[in-house]
Amino acid sequence: MVDSNQKDFRKRDLFYVVPLWFLALIVPDADDLYSYRRKEFKKREIYYLGALFVLPLIWSDPHFHHLMVLAGIYAILALGLSLFLGYAGQISLGHAAFFGIGAYTTAILTTRYAFPTFVAFWASAVTAACAAYLIGKPILKLKGYFLALATLGFGEIFLVIIRESTGLTGGVIGIFGIPWFSIAGFPFDTYLKQYYLTWGVLLGLFLYSKNLVRSKMGRAFLTVAASEDAASTVGINAAKIKIGVFVIGAAFAGFAGSLFACIMSTANPEAFSLNLSILIVMMVILGGMGNLYGPIFGAILLTWLIDILGKYQTWSLPIYGVILILLLIFFPDGIGTRLGMRLIYLISYWKKKKRRDRGKL
Amino acid sequence: MSILIVEEITKEYDGLRALDRVSVKVEKGTIKGLIGPNGAGKSTLFHLISGIERPDSGTIYFKGKDITSLSSHEISSLGLSRTFQTVQTLENMTVVENIMVGMYLRLKGDFISSGLWFPWISRREKEALKEAKEILEFLGLLGRWKSPASQLPIGKQKLLELGRALALKPEFILLDEPASGLTPAEVEQLSERICELKKNGITFFIVEHLMGMVMEIADDVVVLDHGKLIAEGPPILVEKDPQVIAIYLKGKRGNA
Repeated sequence: MVDSNQKDFRKRDLFYVVPLWFLALIVPDADDLYSYRRKEFKKREIYYLGALFVLPLIWSDPHFHHLMVLAGIYAILALGLSLFLGYAGQISLGHAAFFGIGAYTTAILTTRYAFPTFVAFWASAVTAACAAYLIGKPILKLKGYFLALATLGFGEIFLVIIRESTGLTGGVIGIFGIPWFSIAGFPFDTYLKQYYLTWGVLLGLFLYSKNLVRSKMGRAFLTVAASEDAASTVGINAAKIKIGVFVIGAAFAGFAGSLFACIMSTANPEAFSLNLSILIVMMVILGGMGNLYGPIFGAILLTWLIDILGKYQTWSLPIYGVILILLLIFFPDGIGTRLGMRLIYLISYWKKKKRRDRGKL
Repeated sequence: MSILIVEEITKEYDGLRALDRVSVKVEKGTIKGLIGPNGAGKSTLFHLISGIERPDSGTIYFKGKDITSLSSHEISSLGLSRTFQTVQTLENMTVVENIMVGMYLRLKGDFISSGLWFPWISRREKEALKEAKEILEFLGLLGRWKSPASQLPIGKQKLLELGRALALKPEFILLDEPASGLTPAEVEQLSERICELKKNGITFFIVEHLMGMVMEIADDVVVLDHGKLIAEGPPILVEKDPQVIAIYLKGKRGNA
């Protein structure tokens, strides 16, 4: 048996065996997608982390760095929303408002009161979380479409307040001259540094979310999403869980907003409109709900897509729409989820094919 | 000692009286059966006891405490657990996670300590997994602990729901039609498990539409019809009660 194997070996086998072996390292296996184990940390995630770290050094193009910084910020937003939307099963169309609250908190604290950016960064998250608690308390009693409309309304009210209170927020013009983000005197003033900053923050929040999801809290989120009656019979206070997830999502958005304000060095109301809220929801849905890599993947994809389509000027929006529709038709459960499945089938197909070929000989 | 006392409870839906001054007592460590034809108000009574709905009048005592105005999750934290008539499997989770959900109250952790994965969280999580597997072994589901809960056949899902209720370590379990949709062999298995749990000191209150299983395992049976309590006592006596026979015969003729 061993002899025949050696005889069968051809050099060109390496062409697909080696890439497939690499793929097998990074791609989740079929069991994983729908099993208990998917929530544990794996060796594979070290490879992801390594790739993330090395990528900007290999591809040292400022435009790429800047895009990835934006993608990172959107990924933080989408990660927070995916806890609320993908895990707890609630919908929010006002997530951009918390992003805006974070950005304006940093903007006001650093430009008016000369706070260090690092302090403003934490203050932004706290402010956004407090706002979410106050809003969530009455709103989260609603379900489904009503919740979607209420959060949408909140987003619009936020915009109006920002535009009208010119004394505090600078109205339509916004606030300029926000300093670079800096920790203990070290400024993040290049795109490359900002890349590591954003993805570092994202990594921290990702680890937090992953821990949350694999603990009893994550199970409580999923229970609330599946059946609130069932949740209450095991002693889960659905209202408390929903508020908690909403507040955490808002805190994530606050962090993202603070980074955004520091990196763009401006804050103006146009950036936090309904468009952004819908973009974040699209990222979560396209990337795949119910897993934490999905929203990050979706954020990268949509940021790139919008950037690439920018070339086509007036045609960009129709093309964007068509691509979104096609993606939703062919990847209804998210690109992350479906692509993973496809690759797994491909790998197992190759393995089976090899075995079958050997059987014939 | 009565673990659950329901006193003169009334519930109306748009003028239709679903329950009319019903009083029931359940003794600790026994199995009480509740039977009655369709629409007799059996499930309504369970919804009222478990706090999913509120009664219009009357009081409910659990372990001597008035639980009438408590919300559902507070009642379950007192040690009263239940299953549903239409099985509420959490389809977005695996079999073992469905059980671990039931341990929510007994596990430590909140948004901060769970998110930062403090050492005790990890330790308790491992223990919880082990305990959940023990429960699955007791129910004969251990072979499929990793598979998605939605892939189980309906009979197994009913067992899984019982497992979730057990994970709370309750003193009292309400079972809403546990035998419906099950094959005779599965019903047999379920009855065995319930009797075993009764020996461990858990009290059961079981709703059944058909008399079969309840008559075998219950110590005491209550019969409801049109929201009224019409008979109560040991199964052998209730079975021979002319009023009960009349209801069930009438029902059968109506169906035929």
